[in-house]
Amino acid sequence: MSVLAFGTIAFMLAAYVLLDGYDLGVAVVAPFVGRTEGERRAAMQAIGPFWNGNEVWLIAAGGALFALFPAAYASAFSGFYLPFMVVLWLLMGRGVALELRDHFPSAIWRQFWDAVFSLSGALLIALFGITLANLLRGVPLDSHGYFNGTFAFLLNPFALLVAVFAIAALAMHGAAFLAWRVEGAVAARARSAGQALRILCLVLLVLVTVAALVMHAGVSAFTWAAAACAAAAGVYLVAHTAVARGDDRAGFAATTAFVLALMAVASGAIFPYLLRGYPEGSGGMTIYDAAPSAPALASALAVTIVGVIAVCIYSAIVWRRLAGKVRSGE
Amino acid sequence: MTAEIVDRLQFAFTIMFHYLFPITTMGLAPFVAWYTWRAARTRDDGLAKAASFWTKIFTINFAIGVVTGIPMEFQFGTNWAAFSAKAGSVIGQPLAMEGVFAFFLESVFLGALLYKRREVPGRLATLSATMVWLGSWLSGYFIVATDAWMQHPVGYAVRADGRIEMASLWAVLMSPFAWWQFLHVACGAMVAGGFIVAGIGAYYLLSAREDRLARDFVRRGVIVAAIFSALAIFPTGDRNSANVTSYQPVKLAAMEGLFASEPDAPLALIGMPDVSNRKLIDPVDVPDILSFLAYGNFRANVRGLSAYAPQLWPPVELTYYAYHVMVGLGTIFVTLAFLAAALLWRERLFGVRAMLWALMLAMPFPYVANEAGWVTTEVGRQPWLVYGLMRTSEGISPNVVAGEAVFTLIGFLGMYFLLGVLFLYLTLREIAAGPSEAAP
Repeated sequence: MSVLAFGTIAFMLAAYVLLDGYDLGVAVVAPFVGRTEGERRAAMQAIGPFWNGNEVWLIAAGGALFALFPAAYASAFSGFYLPFMVVLWLLMGRGVALELRDHFPSAIWRQFWDAVFSLSGALLIALFGITLANLLRGVPLDSHGYFNGTFAFLLNPFALLVAVFAIAALAMHGAAFLAWRVEGAVAARARSAGQALRILCLVLLVLVTVAALVMHAGVSAFTWAAAACAAAAGVYLVAHTAVARGDDRAGFAATTAFVLALMAVASGAIFPYLLRGYPEGSGGMTIYDAAPSAPALASALAVTIVGVIAVCIYSAIVWRRLAGKVRSGE
Repeated sequence: MTAEIVDRLQFAFTIMFHYLFPITTMGLAPFVAWYTWRAARTRDDGLAKAASFWTKIFTINFAIGVVTGIPMEFQFGTNWAAFSAKAGSVIGQPLAMEGVFAFFLESVFLGALLYKRREVPGRLATLSATMVWLGSWLSGYFIVATDAWMQHPVGYAVRADGRIEMASLWAVLMSPFAWWQFLHVACGAMVAGGFIVAGIGAYYLLSAREDRLARDFVRRGVIVAAIFSALAIFPTGDRNSANVTSYQPVKLAAMEGLFASEPDAPLALIGMPDVSNRKLIDPVDVPDILSFLAYGNFRANVRGLSAYAPQLWPPVELTYYAYHVMVGLGTIFVTLAFLAAALLWRERLFGVRAMLWALMLAMPFPYVANEAGWVTTEVGRQPWLVYGLMRTSEGISPNVVAGEAVFTLIGFLGMYFLLGVLFLYLTLREIAAGPSEAAP
């Protein structure tokens, strides 16, 4: 049952990275694909009805972690204290920028919020990347299962590399989303940006995989690293052919599969830990340490899974009703 | 400064700021749904404008509510890790349910509502507005259920290692403490919603604008405010007090400023608590009434603070004043709303400028009353984090030092100041533009 709980949280986090990932990716590429204000506005309108619902996956995943693995929730959130607080402020910046940009007819006002939108998007991805990298690398847990993640510890070379990779990957995902959902010049630029980002992602993926292998030498890491490369390469081929054919929907499906594959690989690498210890071999907090006893876990798991299924169903219905492209360059 | 004080200050500040917005979303959601439904049914252009206007006001609130709400969930882990590790199996569940059941409902359907806002409302818009309403109230229910468990823990089991676990989710969700508290909170939000709609309508009437819609706003707002300000006192307020009397008698004594235990306990209408000398300064009392309100008997003995060790007292002054502010304002709301409703009944309200002024100026006060109610509840819960089970001082994160928390508290102060200014600016702009002038 603990394994199912882990899977549920991994699924919810993957859904967050996948869905809010394209919002954040759009933020990163917006200054490059939108040269005029109208074009940037079109990019933001494309994510307009979705980003709020997408962001809720993060809140829901946090709530699920709280209920299913309280000890890990306590340790991780207090351990990543400062980065998570900065995440909160950046989420505020991003949300406010999207809401307020078009409320006041002034070019300066819009340019300011465009900059806030893009900067907070890029920094959010970087912080999520740094957090994920440190979960893979391990955190220095004390005997009570707590740690203090200072920036001096968290900002290691591996984490920075993963942060750069995360920005590139989600920028690619965001560009694919824009190519699919927007018309005109924005979509054309998003397509060519997507091509460049695809190559960058592959290079970075190889670097991250090698770095992870070196870091966890001798661990079963090799298996998942190989799986990662295979998955990524397959996705790349699909994406490449799809875009060559001009099928933007398939292009977005390809980056979706890419992001999902990465999240699956990362979850698989952390399992059965929730918080891997640092240095390597110092144990950590496993899903069995952090879960409450069976009846409590069953109750939490049941409501979470029912809720997640309901969300998936009505989100799909609503999204279907909101089909249609945004025109750019007004 | 100790970490405990800073953690408490940060939670208090961020939740009080955050709560301003859920009050409005819970209070306005029914109006948004009403106007959207009416516009969809009648195809009336004016009603469509009203629907669009309230949707916009609602959306600004909702956006700030969301971004300030996420820190609340995070803080359980970041600043209150020991509490989360010990009791997370219980409190995590209603919070997770808020996420998956309520919050998604609100966000996804608000997205749909906004996406279609350039069109005349149809069935999808009506459904979306109704779902947003349902989502906002469900959200409130799960949060109140979480708080109610901290006030009066039920349905839990304590493990050998001291961890508190969920034994019955049903018992937690169906706790009478939670239900009466939620209904009271919902009434508070509806009072705010009613006074906002009436107040904005009154503003338009006083400025001789938006005549037809303004009258409609005032009419609906006044009726809602009258109904719910009465329900806030009886039965919901009364039942809440009964729960406090049964389960948290120390809190009751602090709320009432009652130091000595007495039969025929008087109800202090005003007066200033002097904790070091254990008495009320300049009290204005109504004899015997507290005994009656608490136990339904004018002779009943009400235990005062002196009956308990001072270590078990909540901060008396804050609890006392917050409670009296809430009750005082509640009384004023009932009076004002019923006067306005009587004038409405006689079809004279729109001509009585003094009343329109009063309605307009009343707008901020339901917020004060709502916040004061929560201060009474939460400050009055001290020194407990979970009543009788865990002290507040035991709940903080052992690995987060005061310096970190001071830094983030300052960050929140700055961030929320900016958010507050932006919110006011945008909302006032929408109100100034008005439903007829507003761009779709």
